[in-house]
Amino acid sequence: MTGQPIVRVRGIHKYFTRGEEKIDVLKNLSLEVPEGEFLGLMGPSGSGKTTLLNLIAGLDRPSAGEVWIRDQLISKMSEADLASWRTRNIGFIFQFYHLLPVLTAYENVELPLLLLPLSSAERQKQVLTALDLVSLTNRMHHRPGQLSGGQQQRVGIARAVVTDPTLIVADEPTGDLDAHSAEEILNLLCELQKSLRKTILLVTHDPRAAERAQRIVHLDKGRLVEGDTSTAIRPAPVGAAAGMQETGIKQQGT
Amino acid sequence: MIDELLANPVTLLCVVISLAVVVAGLVFAVTSPRMLLLVIKNLRRNLGRTTITCLATMVLVAMVTMIWTVIYTLDMVTTEKSKDFKLVVTERWQIPSQMPPTHADYLNPESPKFLPELKGMIGPNDFMTWSFYGGTLDPTKFTRENLLFMFVMNPKHIRSMMDDLDTLDPALVKKLGDTRTGVLLGPERLAMINKKVGERIKVTSLNYKGINLELEIVGELPAGRYDQSAIMSDAYFNDELDKYARTTGQKHPLDNKRLNLIWLRVRDRETFSKVGEIVENSPYFADRPVKVETASSGIGTWLAPYADILWRVRWIVVPAIIVSMTLVVANAISISVRERMTEMAVLKVLGYRPGTILKLVLGESMLVGGLAGLGSAVLTYALVNFAMGGIKFPIAFFPAFFVPAWGIAWGFALGAGTSAVGSFLPAWSARSVKVSEVFSKVT
Ligand SMILES: Nc1ncnc2c1ncn2[C@@H]1O[C@H](COP(=O)(O)OP(=O)(O)OP(=O)(O)O)[C@@H](O)[C@H]1O
Ligand SMILES: [Mg+2]
Repeated sequence: MTGQPIVRVRGIHKYFTRGEEKIDVLKNLSLEVPEGEFLGLMGPSGSGKTTLLNLIAGLDRPSAGEVWIRDQLISKMSEADLASWRTRNIGFIFQFYHLLPVLTAYENVELPLLLLPLSSAERQKQVLTALDLVSLTNRMHHRPGQLSGGQQQRVGIARAVVTDPTLIVADEPTGDLDAHSAEEILNLLCELQKSLRKTILLVTHDPRAAERAQRIVHLDKGRLVEGDTSTAIRPAPVGAAAGMQETGIKQQGT
Repeated sequence: MIDELLANPVTLLCVVISLAVVVAGLVFAVTSPRMLLLVIKNLRRNLGRTTITCLATMVLVAMVTMIWTVIYTLDMVTTEKSKDFKLVVTERWQIPSQMPPTHADYLNPESPKFLPELKGMIGPNDFMTWSFYGGTLDPTKFTRENLLFMFVMNPKHIRSMMDDLDTLDPALVKKLGDTRTGVLLGPERLAMINKKVGERIKVTSLNYKGINLELEIVGELPAGRYDQSAIMSDAYFNDELDKYARTTGQKHPLDNKRLNLIWLRVRDRETFSKVGEIVENSPYFADRPVKVETASSGIGTWLAPYADILWRVRWIVVPAIIVSMTLVVANAISISVRERMTEMAVLKVLGYRPGTILKLVLGESMLVGGLAGLGSAVLTYALVNFAMGGIKFPIAFFPAFFVPAWGIAWGFALGAGTSAVGSFLPAWSARSVKVSEVFSKVT
């Protein structure tokens, strides 16, 4: 199931300066994520999980060390190049969904596609495919304010997968949801990994969410404490959309 | 019209800015219609704030457009032209200028007394004289409605020499020439005295005491610049002065001072210097010396008393309005950007480049500013020129000022320009937002 590492983090350091004070957040951290893996990232608050996720997603650059995604050294890319790289390679799922309130579900999912050279017909096809994946085609003309938290997060997932990215990163995607909605979201993530063979990085505090991951790494005070590796790949959860392979999300490539 | 544009750097700049903004806007709309939709939806989100920004921009643009109309018009008439320009001949030592009628004969190419040295330099269509006659329609009531101020001139010279009257209906000119007591009135003046073409009016003079006229309204002057004006034939005026001398046995006190201005047209500056030298040194004018100026410098002299206030309006009032517009926009946009920093960060996460985010914010502000500016300028143009009959700001002998068509470019450029400048800093802060910082506050 697992192939070549798609994410290679090599000896990164990250510190922030707050006034005079220098805060070391990540210290000499290395990590590899094989293609198609569902990796859970846990750790106490302030341990640097979001910071690590941001570095892997190309939202920030390490103070030292290298971040490779596939064969790209993203830790050395310029901000503008990183932006374009993210469109095609990263699907980001936020704890608080962060949909644009003025746009409908459809338009929110369409946002990343506006940056790609697609015809409007292709764009429409991809948006509808992504919305279908999260079973929200019937709500596509609703604005976020008219959707429940769980539904908003499903729109967030559709937006994250619509460009068919290399890597999906989710920062506590269930942190703001009730148990039932959280379950739905986790099922969806599992489906993405199983059926579409997406590589997923999931930051979570919730042990039940972490359970879904194939492997869990713990961060503590900026250092990795690898442990509790559940190697067994669980059977696909109930309700996995049959035939998701045929959904037609096109491989954009890099 | 193009000459006017090239002669006026501010207007030219506005036209260039307007074109650039329109082209940039069209390119944006055509290449990224969905992003334009996002811009529009963002504007709709806080309709109250958008409306207030819009209204503030409109009011300020209207103010600047009106003020600049006056300044622009005065600039245009005082800008020296290099070809085919007019000269004014006036009494050298006295204001107002009052010259004997014989002065005109030496300068009139159709008169036998025409100075031979001027042959070839002044043609029959390059000459005109003006006398000013002011009177009231009701000697017992000196209200504004009753006052009538007329240009007294030879009808033959109207089309060839009067500004903007070169397209006047020749039949109307002929009628004025044929009707000895005829008068042409501007449409507003007609409405004000409540008379129609064909009716007669009695005028009691204010400046030519005892010379009262009975005039027949033979036609209407075009609307606009001549809305309030009146033109009567000099033949009737001269006859009445002669009649006064015959009946009273002595000449009217103003008999030999009846000519106020003589206009000439020359083809270039060289001819102007020659004509000036010949006329100013001619012994024929020795009894009442004259000076020859270009029309623009002549008008400039008449405007001299206003120079100070015009300077202050141009360099203090107008810039102050523009600065306040910019601040209004900057304030509104920076509030709306601050409210949406998280959204900007989300766009960045999705892969929006800093430049794209800058464009989105600038686009938002310039769309409102540009449209408000354009709307306001078009409204001002229509209201001032067609509903108000010009800006009534009596300065020198301008009865009213009319917004030029180019004024629409001022409004558009001003609206779009101030919103671009005002929103630049907020747009830059949106562009530079650090994703990791925004979300470290959230999580
Ligand atoms: N942009 C920043 N500037 C300064 N300090 C920062 C910044 N981002 C993060 N930090 C600090 O780095 C440390 C790690 O933050 P991070 O957000 O990565 O933790 P986390 O593990 O995601 O915590 P949580 O579980 O609460 O989300 C914290 O002490 C935080 O205050
Ligand atoms: Mg975090």
